Amino acid sequence: MSAFAVYVAATVVLWATSAAMALVLAVLLAAGGRSPRRPVRIVAGSLTTLTRGVPTSLLVIAAGTFAMGTPPPGWLPNPFPGTPDGMVVVAWSIVAALAFGSAGHLGVILRSAYESLGEHWHEQVRTMGSSTRMTLALVVREVIPAGLPPVGARLVHHLHNTAFAALFPVADLFGWVQLQANTTFEVTHYAVVGALGYVVLSGAIWGACRLIEARVAGDRRVRRRPPAVAAVAVPR
Amino acid sequence: MIANLILGLPDQRPGGLVLTLIVAVGSGATAALLGIAYASACVRLPRTSLLLQAALAILRGVPLLLLIFVLGQTTRLTLPAAGFLALVLYSVSHIGETFRSFLARYPAPMTDQARLLGIGPVREWLTFRLPWTFRRSLDALATHWISLLKDTGALVVLGIGELTTVTKVLSERGSLAEWRTVVLTAGLLYLVTAVLLIRALAALRARYALKDVMSS
Repeated sequence: MSAFAVYVAATVVLWATSAAMALVLAVLLAAGGRSPRRPVRIVAGSLTTLTRGVPTSLLVIAAGTFAMGTPPPGWLPNPFPGTPDGMVVVAWSIVAALAFGSAGHLGVILRSAYESLGEHWHEQVRTMGSSTRMTLALVVREVIPAGLPPVGARLVHHLHNTAFAALFPVADLFGWVQLQANTTFEVTHYAVVGALGYVVLSGAIWGACRLIEARVAGDRRVRRRPPAVAAVAVPR
Repeated sequence: MIANLILGLPDQRPGGLVLTLIVAVGSGATAALLGIAYASACVRLPRTSLLLQAALAILRGVPLLLLIFVLGQTTRLTLPAAGFLALVLYSVSHIGETFRSFLARYPAPMTDQARLLGIGPVREWLTFRLPWTFRRSLDALATHWISLLKDTGALVVLGIGELTTVTKVLSERGSLAEWRTVVLTAGLLYLVTAVLLIRALAALRARYALKDVMSS
């Protein structure tokens, strides 16, 4: 694998692990914000404000600087291509910081999408007497079309935030651009290659979100189609 | 330590929070003006401005950090000027599209009414269309400006002495206890500033923003 591919793969791994963590945290924050218990709502609200009010750059610097002096434990895996084993704690700390930096924004998006369903929708679900599992499945299916476009935009922003990893000895695409530019002084050349890499990755995230959105919309159309055959078969 | 975080390091003043605010407000205001100009060009000359639209679409796909690095390394601008320009370009690529979409949705009957009242195209554009677009865009602008305040932290890649850079320098110098104090204080400064900005923008939106109900 070429050096460029290794650094692209490193960015993808950084993005995927931190985005997955951020989405889990976001669901917890969104659910906490809707909790009937006041202390849970206060904690979720405070954490959301904290993650939205503090820059990701500062979170990454804080996490990275703290982790720099920590020796890596043997059990900690190193899934980050190009990052030395000695820096794996720093890499995981940066993943956690990136996740925390996006969780509040994603949580607000998910909560808004959920609230956009309206009271009538919740009333219908209650009237139908759906089980918790079925209600959850319905919520996911209904929330996706409303929440996916802003979630996709945030995930692209999240990809751009992974560039902060270059402030530490953790491999990523921006770090590769910096390294090559400083070694060869061909800044423009490597910047264009790096920018293209980011544009392609951003396009892939955006495209994947659109695909999921179209697929869910298709499912909804199929499920909502009137049962024509059944209607004809009803005896008069 | 507090003085360094607020005013900047002794050899790099103004810096710290003060520089963060100067850069955020300056780049946000400049980008708003350029965004209006971009949107006007797109609406008046849709075909001619296609290339510009494509360029800004590509720019939106590039991380701010990379943009700052490239401008800092490849132009003859001073590092603060290069960082400022990068923030302006990044902002225009985002809010320019917001302005464009609202400017294109300006109700045609309002233009007809202006003509009936004998108001010329230029005066109508300046006194009605642009203010209407600006007020409709306030929600999106507020979100972007809050984000921009935090995005100034990306200037750390050039070592410009704004709040994140000062935090990095101070936290690398001291012990673990000092690191904790520096990071928590810097986080608190960002948080308080962001919350104050959110409150101010909410008041601005409540006073000036045009909603669907009012415009219909």
